[in-house]
Amino acid sequence: MRARVFYRTLLGLGIAYLFVPVLVVVAFSFNDFKGRRNVSWEGFTLRHWADPFKLPGLSEAVLNSLTIAFLSALISTIVGTLIALALVRYRFRGRATTNLLLFLPMASPEVVMGSALLTLFVATHVGRGYVTVLLAHILFNLSYAVVTVRARIVGFDRHLEEAAMDLYANEWETFRRVTFPMIMPGVLAAFMLAFALSFDDFVITNFNSGSMQTFPIFVYGATKRGVPPQVNVLGTMIFGVMVIAMGIFLFIQNRRQKARD
Amino acid sequence: MTQGPDSTAGASTPAVELVGLTKAFGDIVAVDGLTLDISENLFFAIIGPSGCGKTTTLRMIGGFEEPTSGTIRLHGEDVTGTKPYQRPVNTVFQSYALFPHLTIYENVAFGLRRQGIEKSEVNRRVGEMLDLVHLAETSRRKPRQLSGGQRQRVALARALVNHPRLLLLDEPLGALDLKLRKEMQLELKRIQQEVGITFIHVTHDQEEAMTMADSIAVMRDGKIERMGEPVEIYDDPRTRFVAGFLGASNLMEGQITGSDSVTLTGGHRFHVSADKLVGLAGAVHVGVRPEKIHLSPEGASPAHANRLAGVVTDSSFIGVSTHYLVQTELVGELTVVVQNLGVTRFAPSDSVTLSWDPDHTFVVAR
Ligand SMILES: Nc1ncnc2c1ncn2[C@@H]1O[C@H](COP(=O)(O)OP(=O)(O)OP(=O)(O)O)[C@@H](O)[C@H]1O
Ligand SMILES: [Mg+2]
Repeated sequence: MRARVFYRTLLGLGIAYLFVPVLVVVAFSFNDFKGRRNVSWEGFTLRHWADPFKLPGLSEAVLNSLTIAFLSALISTIVGTLIALALVRYRFRGRATTNLLLFLPMASPEVVMGSALLTLFVATHVGRGYVTVLLAHILFNLSYAVVTVRARIVGFDRHLEEAAMDLYANEWETFRRVTFPMIMPGVLAAFMLAFALSFDDFVITNFNSGSMQTFPIFVYGATKRGVPPQVNVLGTMIFGVMVIAMGIFLFIQNRRQKARD
Repeated sequence: MTQGPDSTAGASTPAVELVGLTKAFGDIVAVDGLTLDISENLFFAIIGPSGCGKTTTLRMIGGFEEPTSGTIRLHGEDVTGTKPYQRPVNTVFQSYALFPHLTIYENVAFGLRRQGIEKSEVNRRVGEMLDLVHLAETSRRKPRQLSGGQRQRVALARALVNHPRLLLLDEPLGALDLKLRKEMQLELKRIQQEVGITFIHVTHDQEEAMTMADSIAVMRDGKIERMGEPVEIYDDPRTRFVAGFLGASNLMEGQITGSDSVTLTGGHRFHVSADKLVGLAGAVHVGVRPEKIHLSPEGASPAHANRLAGVVTDSSFIGVSTHYLVQTELVGELTVVVQNLGVTRFAPSDSVTLSWDPDHTFVVAR
């Protein structure tokens, strides 16, 4: 009995630790503050929610973040899936090296990655901006995508593909009707992970964005002058979208699980 | 290099012809120069110990493995080097390999859909096939919701629904328990006779091969050691390996001393039918299966021409039969299996005469 109370308390503290900061962000998006700094509670208002994009540059930054996250997740998931398939399925020269190189972006500190990329872009006279940030994000997302998809392919029974071929499916149909549906959960997970990683990346982006702004860069810049409440509003929106997405994901998974049993 | 079916066609075109088929994995030669014809509508079994190359042979016929050298012809047509989906062959995999994300119905319909067969026709044939394997009521379930025996039947249905002319089965009953296994053996045999197509069935269970097959090939180290009808190779295994692989046998050292006789090292002579000595000479083993030996009390006149005297050292009752160990002076201990027909039972230390028919005597090279 006592142990149970103890564990419940511990669990409660853990959850509070995770969510109090989020709740503060949400609460302060409704704060009716008068001065320059949005740091103490002064009353409830919806006025920041009325026009969250009023701040100059904010909507552009969010749009940049969203498109970069989407594109880099898409590209790195497609390429990563193909790389993962090759790494698991085929023995080729340079396979071990590829494995090692894939691990590097995950293992090396972001500062190192970011500055190295900057050096590269400067040395090759590539103007920094949207494209360089996109390239950088594809680069680090690729590693995570490969690792995520590979975990799914390793547990895959190759006889399934042989069975498909035995049943008159050619290579493409085998991939489309058997291989892909089977590794789909891994591919989806890789996409979501890559999207999230890209969306909140600051360090690498900051090195390579030039004058282009993403949401994290914008927030960082804005904090110097006191956090504008619109940042809280957008943060709350993003959090809300994430919670809804997770809810849908869990709901689908739950229903599938039930259909199986 | 596709050979027109006409050039070799005729009533006798075999379903499968393997010519010098070889497969090497690096240093390991898994299949070594296999040459073999399998005629149409035969239930053909390949048996052999683990690692002898059975699966590799089957995979080359199915198109999943490229031969290192040699030729594969199906119904007279050279298919070496073609893809699995280009061959008129279907396979039942040992692990079944059912598609976990598809329903039973979709699993069975998979091959028909890929061949672009019309929807109503697909529906009809899948329904028929599920009826044949008694699984009509499971058609909307997923594979993981079926029992092992049911999955096995789905795998069979998924292959057969395409009306292949040749069906390959790689130990399809391996994962089933004994009772289900026996049931499925009868079921498979029934289906084979019903649909009238060639089956190549790989197993390492010699009893399964003998009950089901019209013809058996015994493989060893990538080669075929003996091939023929079950009775034929059981009664005349020709090599010691085959004799040992196909059930128990008593082997005795001897020399060939005539066109129809073998003399034991100790000087005792056995009669053998002359055809079992063809191609053999000099030092050999004489063999007789335990159930072919007749036991009679010492002094009574023995039933058959080949005889030995001995003393019972052990007897164990197994229900349908009794197993005896008999110590002989000339060749040591022999195993004898006697059906329990209510005739004389023997006890340890009884003196007996063992006798058997020369026709049940075989000879293998030493
Ligand atoms: N892909 C492969 N790579 C390397 N060696 C292989 C491969 N497949 C099979 N072998 C080898 O070839 C030999 C024959 O294997 P195969 O699977 O044909 O045996 P089998 O007769 O089917 O045995 P079992 O009864 O155990 O299934 C074995 O020595 C095996 O280790
Ligand atoms: Mg095998």
